Amino acid sequence: MTKKILVVEDDATTADYVAKGFEQNGYVVDVAGDGRDGLFHATDGHYAAIVLDRMLPGMDGLAVLGAVRAAGIDTPIIVLSALGSTDERVKGLKSGSDDYLAKPFAFSELLARVEALQRRGPSGAQPVVTNLRCGDLNMDLLARRVERAGARVDLQPREFRLLELLLRNKGQVVTRTMMLEEVWDYHFDPGTNVIDVHISRLRKKIEDGDRLPLLHTVRGVGYMLSETA
Amino acid sequence: MIDSPRLRLRLPAPIRVALISLVFGLVITLPVLLFVYHQTDSLFEQRIHDRLDDAEHSALDAYSASGPAAMASSMQQIIRTGQLRGGVALLVDPRGHKIAGNLSGWPPVLPTPSQWNEFRLYPEGQVRAELFAIRTIALPGGERLLLGTTIDERERMRAALVEALLGALLLAVPLGLIGGWVVLKVAERRARAIGNVATRIAGGDFSHRLDEDRGAEEFGMLAAAINAMLERIEELVEQLRLVTDSLAHDLRSPLTRMRANIERAAGADADRQQQAIEAVSLDIDRMLRLISATLEISSTEAGVGKQHFENFDLAGLLRDICEIYNPLAEERGMEMAIDAPPKLAYTGNRQSIGRAVANLADNAVKYGGGSIELGAADKGEFIDLWVADRGPGISPDLHEHALGKYRRLEESRTTEGSGLGLALARAVARLHGGEIELQDNAPGLRVVLRLRRDAGNLSLL
Repeated sequence: MTKKILVVEDDATTADYVAKGFEQNGYVVDVAGDGRDGLFHATDGHYAAIVLDRMLPGMDGLAVLGAVRAAGIDTPIIVLSALGSTDERVKGLKSGSDDYLAKPFAFSELLARVEALQRRGPSGAQPVVTNLRCGDLNMDLLARRVERAGARVDLQPREFRLLELLLRNKGQVVTRTMMLEEVWDYHFDPGTNVIDVHISRLRKKIEDGDRLPLLHTVRGVGYMLSETA
Repeated sequence: MIDSPRLRLRLPAPIRVALISLVFGLVITLPVLLFVYHQTDSLFEQRIHDRLDDAEHSALDAYSASGPAAMASSMQQIIRTGQLRGGVALLVDPRGHKIAGNLSGWPPVLPTPSQWNEFRLYPEGQVRAELFAIRTIALPGGERLLLGTTIDERERMRAALVEALLGALLLAVPLGLIGGWVVLKVAERRARAIGNVATRIAGGDFSHRLDEDRGAEEFGMLAAAINAMLERIEELVEQLRLVTDSLAHDLRSPLTRMRANIERAAGADADRQQQAIEAVSLDIDRMLRLISATLEISSTEAGVGKQHFENFDLAGLLRDICEIYNPLAEERGMEMAIDAPPKLAYTGNRQSIGRAVANLADNAVKYGGGSIELGAADKGEFIDLWVADRGPGISPDLHEHALGKYRRLEESRTTEGSGLGLALARAVARLHGGEIELQDNAPGLRVVLRLRRDAGNLSLL
């Protein structure tokens, strides 16, 4: 079944850029040019996710968000905004969005986040998982234990969180900013290769020796945990 | 609406002020004057009563001792000695015939006995009628006695009091007017001074300030508050100018490079075009980072972020940042350590402080050297956060320069960075009512973020 994405964005170039990107990744995309239209679509169709611009003609993005949530629709929504400050972010998340991405952004970042949102499912409805695995890598969330092919891997608490994030998004790209947000709860672009160093340490621990590589670098975007390269 | 401007009577300001001060004056002084009037009046009345009582007693004493004849002679004495102070006295027999006294006959309307009558009478031997307080007494033998004393004195006192009162009122009107006018003029002069400065500033000259020491204290305080506001506005405008200038400057070079890359790529082979696209993407990323960093600083400087103050542990924040950057430091042959109490509770914007410290740590890893120390200490009014390294440092005369926006010091031009890290850290310190300070770590650089402990309660100044 093909997944449908709703893009609510008034700037035609950006809308086109985003829509093309999703289509290339196998999605069917509906585009709405203003808030009213967007709200109409959101309440009508069944979307895997909604990409919502913060500032829209007719009806403000946050107002659309409020109306969608008030109508009981829990489709994952990611807000795009030219207002990039952390405060705007908090405001967006408080209004009921699932994620917030400041403009300008790279499409790969948006894609990674949208896919992560779908995996997470509607907010609050996350199924309880006690075990995460990828190939012969196994993470026991209750015992907080990680094993590779039966052999225990010793991880620092943050390395554990980092690996957990990657495992929960298995087969999908996790960007560096997503890691900083999820693991350390700071919302800024780390800029330099700060995260890369953490990843390479983690990689050393889980790919000890000549085992099959699981942690792949997706150039220019982030990292992905997968059994196949 | 009651406050319709059409219905409101607009009096000239000095008259309004005068009227208000007048009404206030009256409200305060009238009760006092009335009280004084009443007290004085009853005092006088009491004295008149006393005088009548005395005369009555001596007359009755004489009567009970030796009858009406003795009483008559006693009355003559009362009149002569002035016991009644220019008063009147009359004794009549039961049929109403005069036995003694200085009145020609009993006034027809006067009842007997009675305590207090105010009556205008002509005593014998006087040409003018006077006002008397009169007491009448019925004697056991059927005779009637009339005693009276003049109360002109009281009347004069009353008149004088009323006169004084009216005079005071009459005086209050011009005094109130003058007072109002003076107050108004003073206020007007100060207001005009403020207005003049405002006009100059509206004209684009931000350097003018009000005189804070002249005139009344309240105006001094007002002037100080306005000056502080102007200071802040001037600073913001100056910053805005700087941002625009530097942003334009810093965007121009990547834009020029991009243009060159694109021109060269046109018509070149596929490999060459691919290279050009990658170079252009890199430049675009750099520009985007520059713009978002600039926006972040500007909004922080404008005080955005006050709404999101929360309670958190500063020591925990340092541990987070150390954990994030330590691997990078180790990779470059440095080490990062923490010097802070185990817990340091603070109310502030955790995200922006985290970002500022991360920027400083990032700088230390990039430009510093040796061991890097992240520290925090409680200094009472302030909490100091610092990032210190053992690298080449920045010479003291370049400290102020380094804090400005887009200031990558020339030596470090080659290293990647927006050059906004310190500027952002300074904006964050100011958001929390503090400052940033660059110190010589001998050797190396020590950047101190000074945060006010009660920043959450500060209004932005």
